[in-house]
Amino acid sequence: MSQEPTPTRAEARAKFRRTLVQVLLVQLIAIAALAFLQIRYGL
Amino acid sequence: MHWINWVIVVVYVLYVVIDGVRRSKDTDSLAGFFVANKSLSWWVVGLSVMATQLSAITMIGTPGQGATDGIRFIQFYFGLPIAMVILGVTLVPFLHGSGVYTAYEFLERRFDAKTRSLTAFLFLLSRGMSAGTIIAAPGVVLSAIFGIPLVWAVALIGLPTVLYTMLGGVQAVAWADVKQMFLIMFAFLAIVIVLIVQMPVSPDEALRIAGATGRLQAFDFSFDLTETYTFWGGIIGGTFLMLSYFGTDQSQVQRYLSARSVDQARSSLLMSAYWKIPLQLLVLLVGVGVFVYYQFVRPPLLYNPAHEAAVVDVRGEDYAVLQGRYEEVFTLRSNAALEVADATDQAVGSTAMQSFLQREAEIEGIRVEALAMAEEVTGEPSRDVNYIIPRFALSELPIGLAGLFIAGVLAAAMSSISAELNSLATTSIIDFYRRWVKPEATDAHYLLVSKGATAFWGIFACVVATYAATLGSLIEVVNRFGSFFYGSILGVFILAMIPRTTGRGSFFGLIAGMSLVAFVNFRIPEVAFLWHNVIGAVTVVMVGLLLSATDTKGAVEGRSTRGANAAG
Repeated sequence: MSQEPTPTRAEARAKFRRTLVQVLLVQLIAIAALAFLQIRYGL
Repeated sequence: MHWINWVIVVVYVLYVVIDGVRRSKDTDSLAGFFVANKSLSWWVVGLSVMATQLSAITMIGTPGQGATDGIRFIQFYFGLPIAMVILGVTLVPFLHGSGVYTAYEFLERRFDAKTRSLTAFLFLLSRGMSAGTIIAAPGVVLSAIFGIPLVWAVALIGLPTVLYTMLGGVQAVAWADVKQMFLIMFAFLAIVIVLIVQMPVSPDEALRIAGATGRLQAFDFSFDLTETYTFWGGIIGGTFLMLSYFGTDQSQVQRYLSARSVDQARSSLLMSAYWKIPLQLLVLLVGVGVFVYYQFVRPPLLYNPAHEAAVVDVRGEDYAVLQGRYEEVFTLRSNAALEVADATDQAVGSTAMQSFLQREAEIEGIRVEALAMAEEVTGEPSRDVNYIIPRFALSELPIGLAGLFIAGVLAAAMSSISAELNSLATTSIIDFYRRWVKPEATDAHYLLVSKGATAFWGIFACVVATYAATLGSLIEVVNRFGSFFYGSILGVFILAMIPRTTGRGSFFGLIAGMSLVAFVNFRIPEVAFLWHNVIGAVTVVMVGLLLSATDTKGAVEGRSTRGANAAG
């Protein structure tokens, strides 16, 4: 029988996922800014 | 430099020392001195981590790189956010929860004393020397800019840092880092504002000029192991490098061991994950901005004033001829740059661009000749890139702001050196003195020798820095040697988190990893150094797993043989 994760563990995972998404989003914005500079001015 | 600027620099230095002494009252125990009784908030630790990583040479060298090479260096940091997230869920809870003072102490609990001592020794060897170079690099620049002896510049940076680190421990180091980080940011913002106000062309036109010279090419998607700055090198090699640096280097680990809880330690690392790339982009764009500004305001032919004076002294006539050519081509390039900025029609823009690029190449050629002349006269390689920003700050920033910029350079140097000294003292005392020399002593005794160790490493670093020119090749060898084991030490920590790996596996894995990286470095030198970290870490893990498997098998067989004998 599989054991359900405890709420604290689930909370921790959800928090980690949220943080991961936020970090990736900020990096995506930074990379988009770099791509803009390269495409608009760098070519 | 104007006396008001000097007053600002002196006030900053005095403030840092007095504040450090004020914080020494909270450090009457070993835990207080080394990990601030685990009392620091995430934002203090986070800013401290960022300030530690931002050395003076990053502050003056990185925008210099932006001015000469553009923003492609940003790719170096692409792995940092990934590394921070990985560390947050793996090593940070392990290290913070185990109640250790050093990362290497954790390795003895997991493996054995020899793995701990070897990794701690490698840390002391590489960081001891690099502490000298961290002082020497800005020391050499400041001594050339202000025309003061190197020993004074080293003393100005080194002695106050030794004093506040010795008296206040990690508490003083972290809080000084916070203030230093704000000062550094302020210094950069001052340059940004001055550039925006004084730039003869609009931001869009400035970016067009920078783009024409390839300085806004951020990405290189080629999978080329010989190129240091590529997208894949940054993502893969950079992730391994940042994992090693933030996960296993005591100067960083000690910061988040001081955090109040595991969550606070994680959040402190995430601050770098969020802000490092935008911050580094700003620093590089400052350099690009200075490059565009210098299209219209003539900069010196040689940025290093000491080298310039030496060349004028020895080969004055040749230099004057070169200078004449430079001034002539500079005017032509300025006009061409204005045409590029003003061009609305594509055909006109293309012709203007070609003319501009031709003049730019001519200027580069003249600069190469001048640098060769400087190298011939002084007998030392001319790293002109580190002098671009200090000279810009001193000649273009208003009185007061220039002083703040120099204080910012000192702040960047001090924040990195203080972390080095603090971590060197911690490792010396915890991993060697308390482990091998005097295991049973009072906190007061350890505290006293810790302060002595901080002073020792500080003076050692200052002496190495003072003789930086003489010890140049030795320091280079040690730094190169340091890069052999960075990834390999990460491999040992990865093994520590894998169940059933053994001390023998990790110890010989570490030696195998370092040997292979040394082999690659000497026999295949074209492989870029970022990949050394990947090679080292992967080798250690593979060899470690293999040896651990044979150890475990032997132990299981030994147990079953003993069991059979007992049964018989």
